Amino acid sequence: MLRRILPLRSHAVRSGRLAGVLLVGSLALGGCGQQDMLDPVSRPAREIATLWWWMLGVAGVVLGGALALLAIGWLRREHPGLPLVGGSERLSRGLVIVFGILIPLVVNIAVFVTANFVVAKTTDAPDPRTTAMTIRVVGHQWWWEIRYPGSTTVTANEIHIPAATRVNIVATTADVIHSFWVPQLNRKIDMIPGQTNRVLLEADRPGRYRGQCAEFCGLQHAHMAMYVDADTPQRFKAWLHDEATPRQAPATASARDGERLFEANACASCHQIRGTSAHGQIGPDLTHVGSRATLAALTIPNRPAELERWIRDPQHVKPGNRMPALGLSDAQFRKIATYLEGLK
Amino acid sequence: MSETVAPGRARRTLPNGVWGMLIFVLTEGTLFGSLLGTYFYLRFNSPQWPPDGIEAPSVALPLALTGALVLSAVPVVLAALAAHRGRRGAAMALVSAALVVQGGYLAWQIVSFLHDLDSFSPSATAYGSIYFTLLAADHLHVALGILFSLWVVVRLAVGLNPYRLVTVQAVALYWVVVALLTVLVTLTQVSPS
Amino acid sequence: MSALDAQRRVRIERLERVWTERPGVFGWLTTTDHKRIGILYFFTALAFFAAGGIESLLMRTQLIGPDQRLLSPEAYNEVFTMHGITMIFLFVIPMTTGAFGNYLLPLMIGARDMAFPRMNALSYWIYVASGLFLYTGLALGHAPDAGWFNYVPLAGRQFSPGAGIDFYCLGIIFNSIASTLSAANFIVTMFKLRAPGMSLNRMPLFCYAFLAVSFALVFALPPLTVATGLLELDRRLGFSFYEITRGGEPLLWQHLFWIFGHPEVYIIILPAFGIATSIIPTFAHRKMVAFPLVALAEILVAFLGFGVWVHHMFATGLPTVTTIYFAAASLIIVIPSGIQLFAWITTIVTGTPDFKTPLLYIIGFIVLFIIGGLSGVMFAAIPFDQQTTDTYFVVAHFHFVIFGAAVFPILGGIFYWFPKVTGRMYHERAGQLSFWLTFIGTMTTFFPMHIVGLLGMPRRQYTYEPGLGWSALNLIETLGAYVLAAGLLVMLGNLVISFRRGAPAGNDPWHGDTLEWSTTSPPPPYNYAVIPTVSSPYAMWDTEDREADQRRLAEGRLTLERGHETPATTTLDAELDAILDMPSDSPWPILLAAAVAVVFVMLLLGHLTTAIVFAGLALAVLAAWQWDEPETRESIS
Ligand code: HEA
Ligand code: HEA
Ligand code: HEC
Ligand code: CUA
Ligand SMILES: [Cu+2]
Repeated sequence: MLRRILPLRSHAVRSGRLAGVLLVGSLALGGCGQQDMLDPVSRPAREIATLWWWMLGVAGVVLGGALALLAIGWLRREHPGLPLVGGSERLSRGLVIVFGILIPLVVNIAVFVTANFVVAKTTDAPDPRTTAMTIRVVGHQWWWEIRYPGSTTVTANEIHIPAATRVNIVATTADVIHSFWVPQLNRKIDMIPGQTNRVLLEADRPGRYRGQCAEFCGLQHAHMAMYVDADTPQRFKAWLHDEATPRQAPATASARDGERLFEANACASCHQIRGTSAHGQIGPDLTHVGSRATLAALTIPNRPAELERWIRDPQHVKPGNRMPALGLSDAQFRKIATYLEGLK
Repeated sequence: MSETVAPGRARRTLPNGVWGMLIFVLTEGTLFGSLLGTYFYLRFNSPQWPPDGIEAPSVALPLALTGALVLSAVPVVLAALAAHRGRRGAAMALVSAALVVQGGYLAWQIVSFLHDLDSFSPSATAYGSIYFTLLAADHLHVALGILFSLWVVVRLAVGLNPYRLVTVQAVALYWVVVALLTVLVTLTQVSPS
Repeated sequence: MSALDAQRRVRIERLERVWTERPGVFGWLTTTDHKRIGILYFFTALAFFAAGGIESLLMRTQLIGPDQRLLSPEAYNEVFTMHGITMIFLFVIPMTTGAFGNYLLPLMIGARDMAFPRMNALSYWIYVASGLFLYTGLALGHAPDAGWFNYVPLAGRQFSPGAGIDFYCLGIIFNSIASTLSAANFIVTMFKLRAPGMSLNRMPLFCYAFLAVSFALVFALPPLTVATGLLELDRRLGFSFYEITRGGEPLLWQHLFWIFGHPEVYIIILPAFGIATSIIPTFAHRKMVAFPLVALAEILVAFLGFGVWVHHMFATGLPTVTTIYFAAASLIIVIPSGIQLFAWITTIVTGTPDFKTPLLYIIGFIVLFIIGGLSGVMFAAIPFDQQTTDTYFVVAHFHFVIFGAAVFPILGGIFYWFPKVTGRMYHERAGQLSFWLTFIGTMTTFFPMHIVGLLGMPRRQYTYEPGLGWSALNLIETLGAYVLAAGLLVMLGNLVISFRRGAPAGNDPWHGDTLEWSTTSPPPPYNYAVIPTVSSPYAMWDTEDREADQRRLAEGRLTLERGHETPATTTLDAELDAILDMPSDSPWPILLAAAVAVVFVMLLLGHLTTAIVFAGLALAVLAAWQWDEPETRESIS
C-alpha cells in the first residue's frame, strides 16, 4: 500500500524500514532479516507491514498528543487551569470526551475496516481454486514434515516452493499444538490436533526465508525452525522430481555398509529411506537428507562432522529431542554418516 | 455477625450473611455455566451425541427426581420465613421434612449414577466425561446442601438468635439456587433424548 | 475544652481496650484486623514479587546473548512458567486486592473492618498456602513448565507426564478460593459498611475500581476452576475433555482459559487505575475531572473484558465471523480506557500538580499505559495479530500494561500510603531516583521487545541463534532489566531506612482527599474513634464534616464503643441501618486453611481417602467457626 503511494524500489523500502527502526529507537545492527516481518517478500506480508507502519504513525500521534498535554501540565505546574479551557469543569470534561471517546472511535473504525476487511482479504486462507499447488506440513515435536500431494516427495524442515506462485499450505500436527510461521511471506497459522488449518504462502522472488514454530510446544520449541526455499519454476520442478525418486544407491563400500547398518539398527524403525527397507515414520524422511542445508530443524548445519556428531549424540546437540542416542561403535556411526551424506 | 437493628425501625438491607451467600451462589452459577458451556461445546463439535454404543439418557425419571428436589426447596424457604417470625419449632420441622426428601433424592441419584457407570465409562468418550462430571458436580452440591440443612437443624435445636436466623436464610437461598441449577443440569442431560 | 478532651480520651481508651488484639506471633496468626491482614498480604506478595523478579532476571540473563547455557531448556521452561504464575497469581492480585484493598478499603469508606473479618483472614492463609504449594513443586523439581496458559495437549498426561502440571492445576484452584473469598468480602463490605452519608455516588473512585475488580473476580475465576479441574480429571482419571481421539477438544481449554484470562488482565489493572485516581487529585490539588464518567468507565472495563477472549486465539483458524466480532469488541474496550486516561491527564493538567514521587510514578504509568494500550489495540487488527502473536511483540505489550501500568501505580501507591501505614515520611529525593531508574529500566527492558518481535523472535524460547538481528536488542533488554532491578532495590532501601528514621508524618501529610487521612498514622485498631459521616467523594476536603466528627467524638455520638462494632448502612444511600457486632481474632481461619491445604496435598499425591477425611475435618473446623458467635450487644444509634 505504502509502495503504491510512494513508488519506492525495494532497497529504498529497506532503508525506509531501517530509518523507521531507528526512529523507534532501536540499535538493530547487522540483522540479515531472514525472519523479519518488516522485510516482506510477498503481497500479504507487505500489506501487514504497511498496516503496521500506518498504525505506528497513528500511535505516535496519539502518544505525542498525550505527552504534549503532560508537558503543558509540567510547564504550568503552578497555574491552575489550561489556556482556553481555564478551570471550567465543563470544558475539561469536553476534553475528556473528545480525546477519550471521539478520536479513539474514529481511529478505531478506520483500523477495523482497513485491517479486518481490506488487509485480511489478502492474508486469509486462500480459496484452493486460486492456488497453483498444495503442500502439507505436519508439525512434530520438534521438526516439520513436508509432503507434496501428487508426488511421492516427503521431506523435512525445508519447504521448496516456486517463486511468485500462490501455494496452499495445509497445516496439521502429529502431537501438540505448533504454529507455522514464515514472517516474510505471511502471517502464522496454528497447527492444532484434530483440526486442518490452511494458510497462503507465496514469495515474490527466489530466495531463502526462515520460519519458526511460534506456539510453545515443549523443550525444543526454540529449535523448531525451517527454511522456505523459493526457486524459479523450472528449478522447483527439477527439485520436486529429484526428491520424488528413491534414494541414490550408495557408491562406496563404507556407504554400503552404512546402509546395511541403518537398516539393521533402530534407525530404520523411525526413519524412512525410500528404496531401502527402512520405513519408520517417527522421524524425518531421510531419502535425500544429504541435500538439506541443515539438520534437526535448523539446529546445526548439514556438514559431515556435524552429521556424525548428531547421529552419535543427538541429545547433546538438541537436548530432549525425540531421537535417542544408539550405542553403536565409532566406526559404525562413521559409516552411517558417510552413507547419509551421500543421499543427495 | 449479628445485626442489631437501630431501635424503632426494621432493617432495610439484607444481612451480611445473606449477601455473602448471594455472592457465593453467583460463583456457583458461573461454575455451572462453564460446565454447561463445556457440555454444549463438546456436543456441537461431535458428529454424534451421545456417541455410538451409548444409550440416550432416560427422560422421565431424572425429571421426576428433579421435580422432587425443587419441591423440597419450598419447605426450606418456608423455614426461613418461620424463623424470621421467631417460630423455631416450625422452622426445624420444615427443614427436617426437606431433609428427608433431599436425602432420598441423593440416595436415589447415587444409585443411578453407579448404575450409569456400569453401562458406560467416563473416560472412553468426551460424552461420558462431561455427563458424569456434570452429574457429580450437581450431586456434590446437593450433598453440601444436605450438610447445610443438617447444620441448620442442629443450630436451631440449641436456640434461635439473629446469627442463626441469618444461617437459615442463607441456606434457604442456597437451596433455591441448587434446585435451579439441578433443573438446568437435568434439562441439559436429557436434551439428547 | 479540656473536659471535652478528657471525654474523648476516655472513649478512645475504651475502644483501644476492646479492639486491641493479642500481642506477638500468636496475635498475627489469629488476627482479623484488616490492616494487619493487609500488611501480611503485603510482605507475602512482596516476597513473591522478589521470586518472580529473580526468575525474570534468570531468563533475561539466559537471553543476554545467543546460545547461552545458564539454564537448560527444562529449567528455562519452568522458570518462565513460574514467573508468569507468580507475578499474576501470587504477586499482583494479592498485592492489589489483598494488600491495598484490605488495608485501605475499610478506611476509605469509614468502616472499622471488613464485612467478614474471619473470612478475610481465611483468604490470606489460603493464599499463602497456595503459594507455598506451587513453590514446593519448584523445590521438588516438579514445577509446571507449559507456560502460564498451559495449553493442552502439551499439558496433558501424554506430553507432560510429571507432576508439574498437577501442581499447576491444583495450585491454581487452591489460589482461586482465596481470591473469590476476598472478592465476596469486598463486595459486601462496599455495599454494606460505608460510612453514613457515603451514598454510592459519593464513594471514592478507588472503591469503584475495587468493586469492579471484585465482581470481575467472582465471574472470571469459575471458568478457570473448570478448565483446570477438567484437565486434572483428564490427567488423573483418564477422562477425555481435551483428548481429540476420544471426542475431546483441545480448543476447549483455550476458550475456558481465556474466558478467565482476559478479564484477569483487567483485574490486574483496575486496582492500579484506582490507585491512580487516588493519587492524582491529591497531588494535582483538584477534584477529578468527569468523576461519573470515570466511575462508569471503571465498571465498563470490567464488564466488557468478558467479551473479548477470542483475541488471544486469532491464529487458531477460527471462522472469520468469530474473529471479526472479537476484534470489534477489543476495539470498543479502548473507549473506557481512553476516558479514564484523559480524565487523569486533564485533571493533572488543569490542576497545580506537585511532582512528588507518587505522582511521578503515576505519570510514568500514564506514559507506559498509553504505549502498552496502543500496542494492544494493534492486535485488534487481526492480520497484524496473526503476524505478531506469540512473538516478543506480545511480551512487550503485556509488560508495558502489566509492569508499566499495573505495577507502577502499586509502587507509587506504596510511596503515597507509606506515611499512613508507618507514620513516617520516605526520603523524597531517593524516591525520585528510584522512579527514574525504574522508568528508564522499564523502557530499556521492554521497548526493544517490540522491535525484536517484529524482527521475528518468538516468545518462550530458551535460546536463539546469532545472525537474525536479535542479539544486540536482547543485550539491551537484559541490561535494562538490571537497571530496573536496581531501581526497585533503591526503593526498597529507601523504605527500609525511612521506616526506621523517617520524619514523623502526621495524620495527613499530603492534604489527601479520602477518609483514611483523617485518622492517625498508623491508624488505630478500630480505625476511627468516631464513625465519620460523609457528604462528597472528597471527604477529607469537606472540613466541616471532619470538625463535626470531632464534636461527635466528645459527645459520644456514633462512637460505637461498647464492643467490636461497626455501622451498616443502606446499599444505595448509605443511611444508617444497623450496628454490627464484628467477630474478633480467631484461630479458626488458619486452621481451616491448614485443613484445606492438606486436602490439596493429598489430591496431588493421589490419596483420595485421606483427602476426603481432611475435607471432612475442614467442614468440622467450619462448624466450630460458625459455632463461635460474637456476643450480641445492645444496639445504640
Ligand atoms: C494489565 C494487563 C493488560 C491490559 C490493561 C491490556 C489491555 C489491552 N490488551 Fe492485552 N494482554 C495482556 C495484558 C493486558 N492487556 C496480557 C498479559 C497478554 C498476553 C497473554 C499471554 O499471551 O501470555 C495480552 C495480550 C493481548 C492480546 C493477544 C495478543 C496475542 O497473543 O496475539 C490482545 C489482542 O487483541 C490484547 C489486546 C488488548 C487491548 C485492546 C487492550 C486495551 O484494553 C488497551 C486500551 C488502552 C489504550 C488504547 C490506551 C489508552 C487510550 C488512549 C490513549 C486513547 C486513544 C486510543 C486510540 C486512538 C486507539 N492483549
Ligand atoms: C504481573 C506480571 C508480570 C511482571 C511484573 C513481570 C515482570 C518482568 N518480566 Fe515478565 N511475564 C509475565 C508477567 C509479568 N512479568 C507473564 C504472564 C509472562 C508470560 C509467561 C509465559 O509465557 O507463560 C512473562 C514473560 C516474561 C518474559 C518472556 C519469557 C519468554 O517468553 O521466553 C520475559 C523476558 O524477558 C519477562 C521479563 C520480565 C522482567 C525483566 C520483569 C521485571 O519487571 C521484574 C522486575 C522485578 C524484580 C527485579 C524484583 C525486584 C524485587 C524487589 C527489589 C523486592 C525485594 C523484596 C524482598 C527481597 C523481600 N517476562
Ligand atoms: C526413536 C526414534 C528414532 C531413532 C531410533 C532414530 N532417529 Fe533419527 N530422528 C528422529 C527424530 C524424531 C528426528 C528429528 C529430531 C528433531 O529435529 O527434533 C530425527 C532426526 C534425524 C536426522 C536429521 C534429519 C533432518 O533432516 O534434520 C538424522 C540425519 C537422523 N535422525 C539419523 C538417524 C540415524 C542414523 C539413526 C540411527 C543410528 C536414527 N536417526 C535413529 C527419530 C529417531
Ligand atoms: Cu513447535 Cu513450538
Ligand atoms: Cu486479552
